[in-house]
Amino acid sequence: MVKKEIYLDYAATTPVDPAVIEVMTECLGSDGDSANPSSSHLPGRRAKARVEVARSQIAKRVGVPSETVWFTSGATESNNMALIGAMRANMHRGRHLITSVLEHKAVLDTAHALEAEGVEVTYVNHDPDGIVDPDQIAEAIRDDTVLVSIMHVNNETGVLQDIAAIGQRCHERGVLFHVDAAQSTGKIALKFEDWSVDLVSLTAHKTYGPMGIGAIYISKGVSLDPMIHGGEQEGGFRPGTLATHQIVGFGKAFELADPDSDGPLLSARRDRLWAGLNAIEGVSLNGHPAQRSPHVLNVTFPGVEGASLQLALANVAISAGSACNSDVPDPSHVLRGMGLSDVLAESTLRFSLGRFTTEAEIDYVVGRIQDEVPRLRTLASGAPAWTAS
Amino acid sequence: MDYSSEVEQRFLSPSRAGEFEKGTPGLVSGEAADRTLNVWIRFQVQVLDGAIRTARFNVYGCPYTVAAADWAAEWLEGRPSAALEELAMFKRYKKLGVPVEKLGKLLLIEDAAAACWRGLESLERQKRS
Repeated sequence: MVKKEIYLDYAATTPVDPAVIEVMTECLGSDGDSANPSSSHLPGRRAKARVEVARSQIAKRVGVPSETVWFTSGATESNNMALIGAMRANMHRGRHLITSVLEHKAVLDTAHALEAEGVEVTYVNHDPDGIVDPDQIAEAIRDDTVLVSIMHVNNETGVLQDIAAIGQRCHERGVLFHVDAAQSTGKIALKFEDWSVDLVSLTAHKTYGPMGIGAIYISKGVSLDPMIHGGEQEGGFRPGTLATHQIVGFGKAFELADPDSDGPLLSARRDRLWAGLNAIEGVSLNGHPAQRSPHVLNVTFPGVEGASLQLALANVAISAGSACNSDVPDPSHVLRGMGLSDVLAESTLRFSLGRFTTEAEIDYVVGRIQDEVPRLRTLASGAPAWTAS
Repeated sequence: MDYSSEVEQRFLSPSRAGEFEKGTPGLVSGEAADRTLNVWIRFQVQVLDGAIRTARFNVYGCPYTVAAADWAAEWLEGRPSAALEELAMFKRYKKLGVPVEKLGKLLLIEDAAAACWRGLESLERQKRS
């Protein structure tokens, strides 16, 4: 049976798992572990213990020591910490940063902010499928390069970058490497030691954990200048009272994550969705057809205006562009960067599946789109060629 | 995006969407487009004895544009042909529930109607000459 509302926007956020809600609730209220984890009294130490359990759960999920995982408010903050913190801490080595034009705005806008501080940024390009060539990164590395920042899974297209190869090239040249892995956890098995990576941004709310909490992996020996001052929490990297309930929820969510099982299931659902949509004349898939995350599908429907298709599918939660950009009238910078015209970028929808997506929901959405695309194209009968190119 | 109920209703079931058969008597067409606004619209009106008997439209655009075009086609029907020049979307957009930042798209509907008017005037001149 298909629910009245169907959610296919898991890349924007995921519903919180009931088991996560349960452990979070244990840390709220006067009967729970709600004390300040920095306090030295017994309730504080209990809260602190729960924080450390969560830290180890997260660390285990990504194959790193607990002491290298530090909590933040989310991947956006982690990205800021990585770029700003690493560049400022290593100014003696240089002032050059490398990233790609397809990164999340949390990286691109931070890079732009660093440019205003005198940092020189190289934005490497990519192939038509959205893949960044590791050799192109290597060619861009200079003697004064401090940091390379590349996302693992593109939030709009689902395209996977070859992080291991990029990391290897960075380390061969003694350059720090940061990866935004916000979209990766729970869908793809991660082991940071396979990546030659120094800094990684993580978030809870895309893996069935709560919003407002994330983490940054900082490899031992890497220096970061803190952006926030006011305490000794989190090794001084990110002071501030720790939100025990959110951290505990984060840890539980990562403990429950099962990419070995969820990954293939999501791939199957995604492929079923694509098979149905691909039957519609003229639709196209954006991003590499194989080097992609199991949960994201980015599809262009030429001749159909995107907002109209979204309203026609009003009971299906999907994104036109990234969630962060949904209210922004400009076409997606990722799609434009991959060569789509403004018109085609605005005729594009992102579908992102999750643990609770069913085959029946996929089939329902396919059926609706197979009805609505022809209807909207008929409505636009006689439209000039630019509306479909 | 939050759409008004009228916009939603007209978008989902536009009563005046479509085109006339070729050879329909009194048929006049006019269209307007703005690629930067991602809008194209074509009106077809059947004008008989100086009055707009029926109006139809095709449109590529957002739900606001579709809804406004449907409303405009409905408004035109039964009015004297001069109404094609008098269509004023800026007087109507608030009642439709269209945000002011979308008004530029709706003004193209006026342009398409005005193109119909010019087409009609051209036909009249040809008849007289």
